[in-house]
Amino acid sequence: MQNHSHTPTDADIIREILDGNVNAFESILTRHRVLVLKIVTKHVPQSEVEETAQDAFVRAYLSLPTFAGKSDFSQWLSSIAVRTCYDYWRKAYRSREIPMSAITDKHQHWLEEVLSAEAEDSRREGSLRSEAKELLEYALAKLSAEDRMVLEMVYLEGLSVKEAAELLGWSTANVKVRSFRSRRKLEKLLRGMKQQGRRAS
Amino acid sequence: MRSRISENELLKRAFQEVYFAKERDDAGESWQFQVMRRVRQARPLRSATVFWPAFENVVWRLAPVCCLLGLLLAVLFMNMDLDPGYDYLGTVAAEMEKPTLPELYGLEG
Repeated sequence: MQNHSHTPTDADIIREILDGNVNAFESILTRHRVLVLKIVTKHVPQSEVEETAQDAFVRAYLSLPTFAGKSDFSQWLSSIAVRTCYDYWRKAYRSREIPMSAITDKHQHWLEEVLSAEAEDSRREGSLRSEAKELLEYALAKLSAEDRMVLEMVYLEGLSVKEAAELLGWSTANVKVRSFRSRRKLEKLLRGMKQQGRRAS
Repeated sequence: MRSRISENELLKRAFQEVYFAKERDDAGESWQFQVMRRVRQARPLRSATVFWPAFENVVWRLAPVCCLLGLLLAVLFMNMDLDPGYDYLGTVAAEMEKPTLPELYGLEG
């Protein structure tokens, strides 16, 4: 006798969920939790990752009837995760609960060093990584939720405008404008920091 | 032309390194349990194809009310005098019936 056991595809599980078997969603969760957690970790503060990832999955569950199955499920879920992160920042900016790291002389010194010719050696040192992290967090906190998401996706992750637009569910023109604007703001912030550092020294 | 700080290759790479360095271990079992609890508490899913039957249900439930309302409005309109020409003629006729001043004092004829 032949054994016809096979692993159900995402589409099979979704059909089962839509037929009323809520527990089948656990298989989707087990399969894709790493992907969603990875996306959310990149975009929101460490302390908010688990809650935001939960929100993303609940949102995905509620949106399952709209999943037409034409695109890849992982792609669809990634898009939901990215939009949930964007919503997190929108809420955080509205309630002004943005963690703002203070910029000190050491950050300005680090920036000067990186921009100078001999920066290559100092950059390799792991101890300076914290300065880069804090400086980046400071700059991102100064941007709007929209600019922040676009800057992270296009400038830091290196996604194309089209890819970012698909994940965020925006038009490519909108992402292009946001990308330009956010980079200009980042430039202004960094230039201001550099000038402050020079004045101080 | 001023070179852009944000486009500095070393700075950009440093930012990208710290951005991608945000590693995270997989969430625990309790996390998955919490997600499933929230999912079970959520409203039951309704497949997109179920929309039309549900819509039809509402339409048919409202149909008798619509018919009654239509009848009521028809009766109302039939009882209302809505002919503007007839109204105008009525006003002119009433105006002509009013006595003039000589007629009023018996000075005429």
